[in-house]
Amino acid sequence: MSGRSLRARLLLSLLPLFVLAEAVIGTITYRYVLDESHALFDYHLEQMALSLRDQGAVPPPPVPPEEREQFDFVVQIWNADGSKVYISQTRSKARLPDRATLGFSDVLTEGERWRVYSLLARGRVIQVGQPYLVRERIAAAAAMRSLTPLLAVAPIVALAIWWLVGLALRPVVGVTREIRRRDANRLDPVPDQGLPAEIEPMVLQLNRLLERLRGAFAAQRAFVADAAHELRTPLAALKLQAGLLGRARDDASRAEALRELQAGIDRSAHLIDQLLMLARSDPEAIAAQASAGQPAEVDLASAAREAVAGLRALAEAQGARIELAGPASLPVPGNPDALHGLVRNLVDNAIRHAPGGSRVLVSLAVDAGRAVLQVDDEGPGIPADERERVFDRFYSRGSGERAGSGLGLSIVRAIVERHGGDIALGDSPQGGLRVTVRLPAGRAGPRVEPREAP
Amino acid sequence: MRVLLVEDDRMIGQAVQTALRQDGYAVDWVRDADAADAALAAGSFDLVLLDLGLPGRDGLSLLRQVRGRRDATPVLVITARDAVGNRIAGLDAGADDYLVKPFDLEELAARMRALLRRSAGRAEAVVEHRGVRLDPAARTASRDGDPLALSPREYAVLEALLLRPGAVLSRAQLEDRLYGWDDAIDSNAVEVYIHGLRRKLGRDFIRNRRGVGWYVPAGETGDEP
Repeated sequence: MSGRSLRARLLLSLLPLFVLAEAVIGTITYRYVLDESHALFDYHLEQMALSLRDQGAVPPPPVPPEEREQFDFVVQIWNADGSKVYISQTRSKARLPDRATLGFSDVLTEGERWRVYSLLARGRVIQVGQPYLVRERIAAAAAMRSLTPLLAVAPIVALAIWWLVGLALRPVVGVTREIRRRDANRLDPVPDQGLPAEIEPMVLQLNRLLERLRGAFAAQRAFVADAAHELRTPLAALKLQAGLLGRARDDASRAEALRELQAGIDRSAHLIDQLLMLARSDPEAIAAQASAGQPAEVDLASAAREAVAGLRALAEAQGARIELAGPASLPVPGNPDALHGLVRNLVDNAIRHAPGGSRVLVSLAVDAGRAVLQVDDEGPGIPADERERVFDRFYSRGSGERAGSGLGLSIVRAIVERHGGDIALGDSPQGGLRVTVRLPAGRAGPRVEPREAP
Repeated sequence: MRVLLVEDDRMIGQAVQTALRQDGYAVDWVRDADAADAALAAGSFDLVLLDLGLPGRDGLSLLRQVRGRRDATPVLVITARDAVGNRIAGLDAGADDYLVKPFDLEELAARMRALLRRSAGRAEAVVEHRGVRLDPAARTASRDGDPLALSPREYAVLEALLLRPGAVLSRAQLEDRLYGWDDAIDSNAVEVYIHGLRRKLGRDFIRNRRGVGWYVPAGETGDEP
């Protein structure tokens, strides 16, 4: 398992903690056992001195010196007149001082620290001593022995941590296996039953993401299917007209077929433009443009002026007039390409449906903090029961007389919705269709003062 | 042959109509399901070319309705919907064949011939009767191996008569096969074509039953049926 795995991380952080805890427990135990041992040794010294007090005669050496090298106690007894009565023999040959402090005392003699107990009884001074070195060696050994269970447990605990961490992480492994099974074709949710509270929110969010992806993929697939279906119609027309051109026997029918062929090519090109525009107005594309440092606000008024200027020739060809009314500047937050396309599409639609001699009115306004774009024409309008269906992709009204792709309004609605606005179709006071688009207004608000000539 | 074309797209409809007329079909073109329904209820067509993606009512629902009233006119579906499921739905709704857009004019013509052949109960591609041989694919006629120079309308009249030898076709039936709604019909046009054919094939080849119509005798001997 890699050094970054959760298991290794937990082990690497828990093990030092465990070692530290063992060190603290060990130190305290060690000190405690050491102190206890000292108290015990002091007790021994005192008891030994007392046992000597009760002996009437001078005791013989307690143990022959050669037999017990490890006999570490030194006993001195002397009379009240100062004459030595008894000195035990020790391996260290150390000598205790001749003067004694009654009770316990620490004595330093010939570089060695001693613990001494002195007792005055029946005119004799009894002194029992023991080197600290010995006491400490024995005490340390005892303390160390008390630590062995602690050390023995350490590897067991380490293994237990390893195993328990693995056990706790098993749901993560399960989720990983489930996620590995997902691909672009399989986006069903990962089971979120019986998951620990720590990873459940993660799986929940993952499932929401999968669902959004599923929706987006389905929409894309539907769009591609629709688009393929819709592209076939102009292609079929092209193919048929090319076939007619091949069969044409005289110049008149050849010219007719050629004219139809060119109209078919224009129509296909228009449809492809619309499809590309729809693809570009996808939320992902807009987000990508936003992050690429494109301006966050678009001037709807200048977009309208541009659309009107660009479509004036078409309007003239149709015999219609375009008028533009409203503030000189109307900033709205959004994507420039998409919003320019939106305005152009609406004005283009209005002109195409405008009868000769009629007027197309493009008006901008601010209403209740929202930017409002309104396009009125004097065309046939759309019956109320069809007003929802015309927003469907590729819904083309009537008998295909106009070279419309049925994409225009669905694109317009997609753009409006992606900018947090809404679109409504209604009756124009001019007699035709009125399209009203409401978008969230920009922070700057409309600027009315300098009105440029269009 | 009289064909009903149901197609909402102006460019496609125009192109198919022009091409089929060049091939000698009488083509009536309607642009939605309701108009097609009315046309089918009123007139007799030899073949229907049906687009499925029609405005308002769908072509499939029209097809089901037509089959529902036991109208057996061959229907060739032309559509941009190419998924297998769509094709199955189309055939199950009563279509006889299925052609996916964009298609070739020649393929459309071949499939139409195949459907017409089958609806006439023939398996072979050419029509032959008493030494006169018609090739619908090439729209040529010959007698005992010698080519016959026929005008498109003469060919159409002869084809109509040869497809069902012995059956008597009235002037109205022959006119139906020769003209669409838009064509102006000369009052004696059918007689003119019959006259022309008799001149090229001999007087006895096409016979007249007074007050009823014309027929081609079924037997080799030329006896009346």
